Amino acid sequence: MNCRFLVLFFLLMCQVAGLNAQSTTVMKDTVSSKGQKKFLAFKKVAAANVVKFRKQFTKTWNKAFVDFKDNDVMLMAGMNFSKQNIRANDYTSPFIYAVEQKNVYKPGFVAGVRVDGKYKDKYPYALAFTLNKYAAGVNYKETKPVEPFLGDFSNFKATEQSLSLNMTALYKKLIPVSKLIPIADSSKYKFYVVAGPSLDIRLSRQGIDNQVNQNYRKMFLRAHLGIEFDNNSLYTIFFHYKQSLHSVTKSPIQTGLNNFDLGMLIKASDLF
Amino acid sequence: MKKFIKYTILFLFSLLSLTQLTSCSKDNSGAEINLSYQMLSDKTWYLDYSITGTSKRSYVGQSTYFIDFLKNKTTKDSDGLNGTYTVEKVGKFLQIHVQAKTSSTNTVEYIYNIESIGSQNLILFYTLTGATIPTKFYFSTNK
Repeated sequence: MNCRFLVLFFLLMCQVAGLNAQSTTVMKDTVSSKGQKKFLAFKKVAAANVVKFRKQFTKTWNKAFVDFKDNDVMLMAGMNFSKQNIRANDYTSPFIYAVEQKNVYKPGFVAGVRVDGKYKDKYPYALAFTLNKYAAGVNYKETKPVEPFLGDFSNFKATEQSLSLNMTALYKKLIPVSKLIPIADSSKYKFYVVAGPSLDIRLSRQGIDNQVNQNYRKMFLRAHLGIEFDNNSLYTIFFHYKQSLHSVTKSPIQTGLNNFDLGMLIKASDLF
Repeated sequence: MKKFIKYTILFLFSLLSLTQLTSCSKDNSGAEINLSYQMLSDKTWYLDYSITGTSKRSYVGQSTYFIDFLKNKTTKDSDGLNGTYTVEKVGKFLQIHVQAKTSSTNTVEYIYNIESIGSQNLILFYTLTGATIPTKFYFSTNK
């Protein structure tokens, strides 16, 4: 499989090089026609290989994901509200920062794509890939005095702004709301509870204050819980909560980054 | 369902491994010094307190010693010393090295160890020749 892929890759490279060569090189008629013949023959071979590879890939894909059906590509966008809870513990550094508590969930935004489908025609699932711009509030759980100066200080300065790529795998569970609320039309309105693991990969650089010890982790895993309201498949409104499963900063600093997401999902096919 | 969970775990694990492999560690030796310069420069630092052992002297609300550290790495203090400064890391301590000239053009060179540095607070210390206890100097940007 790998060899085949490599051969195909080189063939494609040759084809691209051939295309460039054709557009830039000036040759005599006879040479040109010979070259064109060669190129056409090569193009045929390359095209056949592409088709072959595509078939092989589709076959492998379908074999591996045979049970993942009814996939819909959704576009999602919304706001996030995030907060960091920080315990610096025994972290020491020559740098001191006057602590300014911002114990609030501060707004950022989220946008991305999500694939919704059913596993074995029975279990609804979703795979989401989103870009998250966090502007997290900062709650220092412990501070230290630097006497005789007045005020509270910390050796760790939290980064408030960050950008991350989030990947989430969710299991969706339909809630029979019609049984609870008689006016709800279950054929039109669907309520789901979703849950799953969520992985964030930080894309933004650490601030200058954290470049000394590279305090923030590149990746962090969180638990993702939420509720969703599907209005007759026209759109879905979601409200999600992500809870840190481990610290987003390196030891000994313990930082939990939690956030709420509020937004909307629309089928990509409805828009494009 | 088991298959779905297996795929999810496999997918997350692959991503984890990939990003761990690509996230190489950077050399941050200069970061500490750059941050020190950023916090120190373009400010006037006023001496608020000096402490030697249990002896504490406060200069808050009084006419006190002050020193300017400019962005172009020149310095000027209230005693009339003019010169240049650098921040260096020697051993485990950050240090401020000052090379200055008095009004009578005598060259003076002195070194302070940085205990703590912030955007508004600075704690320096040095041990006088023959002394065992270091003297700490507490500076702030508030006049």
